[in-house]
Amino acid sequence: MTADRSMVAGKQEGEKPELDPGPILEVDHLIMNYRTKDGYVSAVQDVSFTIGRGESLGLVGESGCGKTSIAMSLMRLLPDNAEIQAGKIVLDGDNLLELSDEEMRRRRWNDIAMIFQGAMNSWNPVYRVGDQIREAIDLHWEEKPTVAVANARIAELFELVGLDPAMMDRYPHEFSGGMKQRAVIAMALSCDPKIIIADEPTTALDVIVQEQVLEELRSIQHEFGMSIIYISHDIAVIAEITDHLGVMYAGKLVEHGLTEDVFARPRHPYAWLLLSSTPSVTGPRLNLNPLEGEPPDLLHPPTGCRFHPRCPFATDQCAAEEPPMEEIEPGHLVACWNYEQVPEMKAESA
Amino acid sequence: MVRYLTIRLLQMFVLFLVFLTILFFLINAQPGDISAQFVGNPDIPPEAKQILRERLGLDQPLFAQYLFYIRNVLTLNLGVSFDHYPRTVADILLTALPRTLYLFGIATLLSYIVGFQTGKMVAWRRGSAAETGTMVTSIILYTVFYPWFAILMLWFFGSQLNWFPLGKFLTPAQWFDAPYTANQVFNTMLLSMFLAGAGVALVVWGTGKFVAEPVPRTRARRILFALIAISMLAFWLISPMSRYAADIAYHTVLPVTTLTLVFYAAITLLTRSSMLETLREDYIFTARAKGVPEKVIRDRHAARNAMLPVTTSFVLAIAFIIGGGIVTESIFSWPGLGLTLLNAVNVEDLPVAMGALAFIGLLALFAHLVADVLYAFLDPRIRVQG
Amino acid sequence: MTDVTEIPPVDPVLEPDVPVAKEGLWRTRIRLWNRSFTKNWEIFSRNRLGVAGVVFVAFFGFLAILHPILMATVWPEEIYDPVRGNDTVILEKTVVPDGEVTDPITEISFTEAMIFGNFFPEEGDVVLVGQAPAPPNSAHLLGTDPFGRDILSQLMKSSQAAFTLGVIAAVSAVTIATTIGSVAAFYGGWVDSWLMRQADLILLLPLLPLLIVIGSLYEVGLWQLGLLIGILSGLGATAIILKSQALSVKVKPFNDAARVAGGSNWHIITRHIMPNVLPLSFLYMMFEVVGAIFLEATLSFFGLLSIPMSWGIMINTAHTQGYTLFGLAAWWLLFPAGLSVTLFGAGFFLIGRAMDEVVNPRLRAR
Repeated sequence: MTADRSMVAGKQEGEKPELDPGPILEVDHLIMNYRTKDGYVSAVQDVSFTIGRGESLGLVGESGCGKTSIAMSLMRLLPDNAEIQAGKIVLDGDNLLELSDEEMRRRRWNDIAMIFQGAMNSWNPVYRVGDQIREAIDLHWEEKPTVAVANARIAELFELVGLDPAMMDRYPHEFSGGMKQRAVIAMALSCDPKIIIADEPTTALDVIVQEQVLEELRSIQHEFGMSIIYISHDIAVIAEITDHLGVMYAGKLVEHGLTEDVFARPRHPYAWLLLSSTPSVTGPRLNLNPLEGEPPDLLHPPTGCRFHPRCPFATDQCAAEEPPMEEIEPGHLVACWNYEQVPEMKAESA
Repeated sequence: MVRYLTIRLLQMFVLFLVFLTILFFLINAQPGDISAQFVGNPDIPPEAKQILRERLGLDQPLFAQYLFYIRNVLTLNLGVSFDHYPRTVADILLTALPRTLYLFGIATLLSYIVGFQTGKMVAWRRGSAAETGTMVTSIILYTVFYPWFAILMLWFFGSQLNWFPLGKFLTPAQWFDAPYTANQVFNTMLLSMFLAGAGVALVVWGTGKFVAEPVPRTRARRILFALIAISMLAFWLISPMSRYAADIAYHTVLPVTTLTLVFYAAITLLTRSSMLETLREDYIFTARAKGVPEKVIRDRHAARNAMLPVTTSFVLAIAFIIGGGIVTESIFSWPGLGLTLLNAVNVEDLPVAMGALAFIGLLALFAHLVADVLYAFLDPRIRVQG
Repeated sequence: MTDVTEIPPVDPVLEPDVPVAKEGLWRTRIRLWNRSFTKNWEIFSRNRLGVAGVVFVAFFGFLAILHPILMATVWPEEIYDPVRGNDTVILEKTVVPDGEVTDPITEISFTEAMIFGNFFPEEGDVVLVGQAPAPPNSAHLLGTDPFGRDILSQLMKSSQAAFTLGVIAAVSAVTIATTIGSVAAFYGGWVDSWLMRQADLILLLPLLPLLIVIGSLYEVGLWQLGLLIGILSGLGATAIILKSQALSVKVKPFNDAARVAGGSNWHIITRHIMPNVLPLSFLYMMFEVVGAIFLEATLSFFGLLSIPMSWGIMINTAHTQGYTLFGLAAWWLLFPAGLSVTLFGAGFFLIGRAMDEVVNPRLRAR
């Protein structure tokens, strides 16, 4: 079994020495719209970020803020009516947006895998779970392995994510929700991707299982040194396990930095409201600042800063001009004209 | 799965009994002496009438008659035909049954296979001209009044173009000095088709079970399929029956095509919507994310799941198919169960009519069972747990 | 920046004409239905096939209504009555040798000419023959049938029969199925099991052969057939479909609210579950009409029903009088009736499909 494993690991070693210091993924001024009957819906507006090797990034925001649209853009699995208008997605030196469909298909799962939102339904009900993982292995390993070798690898992955290897001969309906999600993680690891996108990986699970699955993901990431993008609406969940944090609002990345910086000193009013409205059981008592109003209609996004209609610190400038991403301290970027007015977290002062 | 099938079989048996009960009361609710209906034929000598009366239990009280009736149907003791005295009802029906099975079987199989493929392709290329064209044709075929459509087919291909014979089962002139009866030839045809089908099923199951690697599995299947095809061909080339079989086959083309076209349209429409539903499922997205090629997604992931509702719908379609079969048999004078039933009804040959109805009910149950087995086979949620 | 708008406090005591509690539940519903009707019609009318369906049905409705008017005004009964009327049209025909008649409308064989009273026919002679079926002419726009009856009049009379049958079958089926579906979904348990097994059984009945035998044993007219189809379908397939809908309604919280408010089981079934099943019931009425009309036409085609006139009987007449293979040569015998069944069925089918898109948004094209 270990022999098989080293074979797979060998594939990665041969391709790229681990010394390479550059970022694994670079998203550069990405703009993506959905075409609808009534006009364009601006889903991702001028978003840029990078992820280093072995690092993890969390993307948070309300539903409909463009997190999942970014994930879909990274996989190039957008619906037919989506158009990437501008920008680059550079994975390990190659711009994914310039690849042919066939080249992109080969990259998927091999370079960039995904853990899905609805683990319940992400398994095809008529095939054995093991066979569905083997499908990915057969497609992407340099040399298509025999059934025995592939199965050995799957068994190993199952053990890694805490599943009984005998389960690989079972059908999805015989798995519980948590087990399905673990199996999805095993499948994501099956081709040793450079980066994994985990889109709400634990939403469908109950709290205890959620905790376990996240813990496992983190330890696996440390063990294999791959990069992970976590996407969640739940900032508390994400902050525990990521190195970097990006806060999105209405299709824009409004704040980005090291998780502890953003968490301790949120500078964008939206991030500040989001964080201070998250109660903590263990931490000190907070005065919850409610986030008022509705997320904007992206068919007709607000002028200037997209957050200004809901922002307690908004000025005339906010309605007129779009704030640029500014580096306010090393590695901590904010897009806000009045970030200085955002108060310190009350939890800190208390 | 065994448990599931046992339960289904038992349910079917109970259903059949209920069906027979309905038939029994249907006859008895009718005004007039029921025994006269069964033994009233003036051709029957009085002593024979008495024997028949006793064998059919017509001299008994109603409830005993009912039990007699059930027992008689189950033992195929269905009485004697009025119209074809002294042929027994069972004899008439057993002669007609294979012909109906043939029509029913081929039309169902063909329409499901071709209709499924069409529906699949059409759903995959949503919005294309091919989709619109197929949809319009299918809706027209599906909504056309079937007896009228069959008459037009007969007129156009049989009379106008003169491509096919105008109904009937064979050309009597060719059979004048034939060494076989029509049914011998016909049953041989049916048997060979059944064997070929069973062979194909066995190969699919066997290779699936015993050959793990996909490439040699496909190869083994191809070789074995070819073998089956060759042996079928060889048999019919060598057999002296083939001349007569060809005559029967020639007569079947038009009725089978007509019946198939209508089911085909229904299956296409159904598969398309089932496929469109399936394509929205999360696991299709998973497959895309895994980098599975589009064709494989279509066939292995989407179509395989779209099959499930289509199979279920077969149960609902049985009544529809049987109805279509009866109309086809009537218009193309195909001497199967349906035509037997209609003729019996027209000459008021009640024993034959009731017998035919019981047989058709049995046929419906059998088709239902086949659909159940197929479904259990296709859906692991039943295969593994049930 | 953001001003907090002061909302004036509302005192319900001071506003006695707030209509909330006064208005009956049904009236509220009708109001809501009315409001959604405009929106639904918009969705419906986007489906061009659905609109075509409405046009087809309206056309036959027009025919059905026109018939009694024409009979009362311009059509003398002895000629135009769909069943008893008779009009022999005199046609000019050319005599041809026996066995060489290609067009029976314009040509006549020696033998036939003799039968019609021309005792010394010669090839090429033009003889006058009283003809039934007669091709369309000014008196009979769609010609006459083999018994000299006006096809157009028959067609119109048959539209009436089709609507009558369709309405009887659809209303009875859907009434039964909505009740059964709601009851089965609401009570669950053995009630549900019993009703659903019963539905399974009926689903399995080979309907056409059964009706063939029933039609031969008993006198079956329009009403009996409509009720029979309605009951069988209402207890069978339609019940299963509507039950699954009722089941999804049953789990909605307003039922619990009604129960907490002291609503009885029957109250919940009739006031909360059934009304929410109704849109789908209405949809299945459309498909019910299609099934009923096809069954009727098929049974009439076999000559097994006691109905004065229907499209199926018209086809049966042409068929049994030996005009099956004439095809286009005697098109007025087969095509008007066959097309009518088809288009009538298609009309309701297309309406049903378009309504399906209204009821079930997932089916809408993006």
